[in-house]
Amino acid sequence: MRKNKIYFIYIIPALVFIIVFVYVPIVQNFYFSMFKMNSYTDEWTFVGLNHYLNIVKDPIFYTALKNNTLYAVFSIIFQVGFGLFLAILIDSKFVGKRLKVVFRNIYFLPSLISITAVALMFYFIYNPNIGMLNGFLDLLGLSEWKTAWLANPNTAIYSVIAMSQWQYTGYIMVLLLVAIQKIPRDLYEAAEIDGATEFQKAFYITIPGIKGMLVATSIITVIGSFKLFTEIYVTTGGGPYNTTQVLGTYMYRSAFLFDEMGYGSAVAVIIFIITFVTSLIQIKLSKKRNKG
Amino acid sequence: MTKRLLVLLVLCLVAVSFVYAADEKVEIKFLHRWTQYMDYFEEVVKEFEEANPNIDVQMQAISNDPFKEKIKIVLGTDEAPDVFFTWPGEFTNRFIRAGKVLDITPYLEEDGWLETYIPSQIEPFIYEGAYYGAPFRLDGKAFYYNKVLFEEAGIEKAPETFDEFIEACQKLEAIGVTPIAFGNIRPWAVSHFIGTLNQKMVTDETRFTDLDPAKGTWTDPGYVTALEKYVEMIPYFNDFSNALSHDEARATFFNGDAAMMYLEIVETPDLEEFASDEVKENWGAFVFPAIPEGKGDQDYLTGYPEGFVVSGTTNHPEEAVEFLKFLTGKEAGKLEVNMLGWINGIKNVVGPEDNVSQGVLDTVALVLNAEEMVNWLDSSLHAKVWDAYSTQLQMLTDGFTTPEKVMEAVRKAADEVRKEFE
Repeated sequence: MRKNKIYFIYIIPALVFIIVFVYVPIVQNFYFSMFKMNSYTDEWTFVGLNHYLNIVKDPIFYTALKNNTLYAVFSIIFQVGFGLFLAILIDSKFVGKRLKVVFRNIYFLPSLISITAVALMFYFIYNPNIGMLNGFLDLLGLSEWKTAWLANPNTAIYSVIAMSQWQYTGYIMVLLLVAIQKIPRDLYEAAEIDGATEFQKAFYITIPGIKGMLVATSIITVIGSFKLFTEIYVTTGGGPYNTTQVLGTYMYRSAFLFDEMGYGSAVAVIIFIITFVTSLIQIKLSKKRNKG
Repeated sequence: MTKRLLVLLVLCLVAVSFVYAADEKVEIKFLHRWTQYMDYFEEVVKEFEEANPNIDVQMQAISNDPFKEKIKIVLGTDEAPDVFFTWPGEFTNRFIRAGKVLDITPYLEEDGWLETYIPSQIEPFIYEGAYYGAPFRLDGKAFYYNKVLFEEAGIEKAPETFDEFIEACQKLEAIGVTPIAFGNIRPWAVSHFIGTLNQKMVTDETRFTDLDPAKGTWTDPGYVTALEKYVEMIPYFNDFSNALSHDEARATFFNGDAAMMYLEIVETPDLEEFASDEVKENWGAFVFPAIPEGKGDQDYLTGYPEGFVVSGTTNHPEEAVEFLKFLTGKEAGKLEVNMLGWINGIKNVVGPEDNVSQGVLDTVALVLNAEEMVNWLDSSLHAKVWDAYSTQLQMLTDGFTTPEKVMEAVRKAADEVRKEFE
């Protein structure tokens, strides 16, 4: 009993930090979301849940929600789906030992660059006049496909999504590769003796063997897609005409462009609920896996 | 050995802290938005501190677009700057309403300080009868044009009416040059066109009522006509204008690939530094052409001074005002002309001894000769009305909406904002 109390004393500092810097702000944020206020006056007006009502009436909120969902769907397909394909390919016997290291590093490298630098680079790639993409289309004789990628409402959000896939597919691939390498090699040897094809090995040994990691990476990408901010802020800033707003930029816009801190807090609460529910699902799924 | 070093270090620290304790300097926090011209501001601060040894100026700078967002946050904290940059108009008025800007009228009226400024440059800082700031840089908007391309296209003189202007655009297009360079990725650029056109199409009374967030209804048909005029100009812009920054588009004008660009006169020094030699030697400027059927005065010029204000919550109003006076005064103004090619709001700041180009003087004359100045549309509007306006204007530039629909969206936003003021 006494021993337990001593343990408790040791965790107090960390507990205090987490409560003060994580839990208190979350509760406070919910409280703020019920007031109308801005950052430079002391006037607070209680508005109850009115901000939430206004948010669900605002068409831009739905654009943002749609864009976050698109981001999540594309990220699962490319980062987890294509990342899995790459991981299996690199792990297979088709790729020599040295090349494995080379490819792994090449694919992983983009995720080490800061988002702002990547966004700036893509800003230039997509530039309508001097950009590499339009230049490439000219070379292929597809000049009529040229457009202002980040300023055309039909292409802007997809251009930003593509940038993120470029950056993070390699990262997810490395996570999956590590999981694959933990699968006992004798399973593959046994399969080979039985005459299994590479496809069969991937489908019946590799994928079931890394199911846990597949779930985890899917959740990471989905949560990441809903917390999105920098990618959009640096490339399009939510434009053209708000077609690339996501929840993060929508919150920023309310709080810092329109001086509506309370409204921004309400958007933050909605983002919190979405990511919180996603995390709950993750915890539930991983528990199931542990039991099985 | 190490011990001795340590003792020495401690002694040094003690000595330093004594020096600091003895020093009873007043600290003034100063915030501006010119990260790229720090040498100039450092020089001003240095000279001010030399003249006022009891004041220590702590300078900080945030670049243009982020400044518009961050200023709101810093003004809400205890660390609010004592002297800070601002654009007169609604951008500043909301801070005045919140008590964040000091009324400097009593100081200005003391010992003739007010009289040192050009009246048209200090008046924009009046809000409800009181002065809240001082001008740092005078500015206005004009079409800069490439005389070589104009000649090639057979245009004999700078257009004076809007119809002549469109005709000139057609001639330029016929010889295969981009008539107007325009970069609108940040929509303040389009606000300069629309602000000008609105002023030319509606009466002053209507315009001022609509700019007031508590009263604006935006129902005058002149606003739609203004946008129709803008639509007439769109075919003569470069491609992808919404995807290019102002600077990217400006490069095409500076290189002689585009014939005209609507520029601020504070950009004249940039033109003289960065343009190709041919453009440097063959450029001219003309004011936005008149629209004779418009109800507004056709001799006004779009452009407003930028300036500095003193914080309403400062602990050292005397010292902060002293710095404001120096920063926007004649001495700093001389430095400004010579180092940056900008003119501040002081009367006769430029003399024969100053190193300033004829180009700067000519374009500054456009401002000094204007009958009246018209504030930038974006900084004179409530943030929400401007958001609706700017979103719609970018759509209009791409051909996704019509002038009527733009104004419908503006009216809707203005109605919502008006409710907040009731």
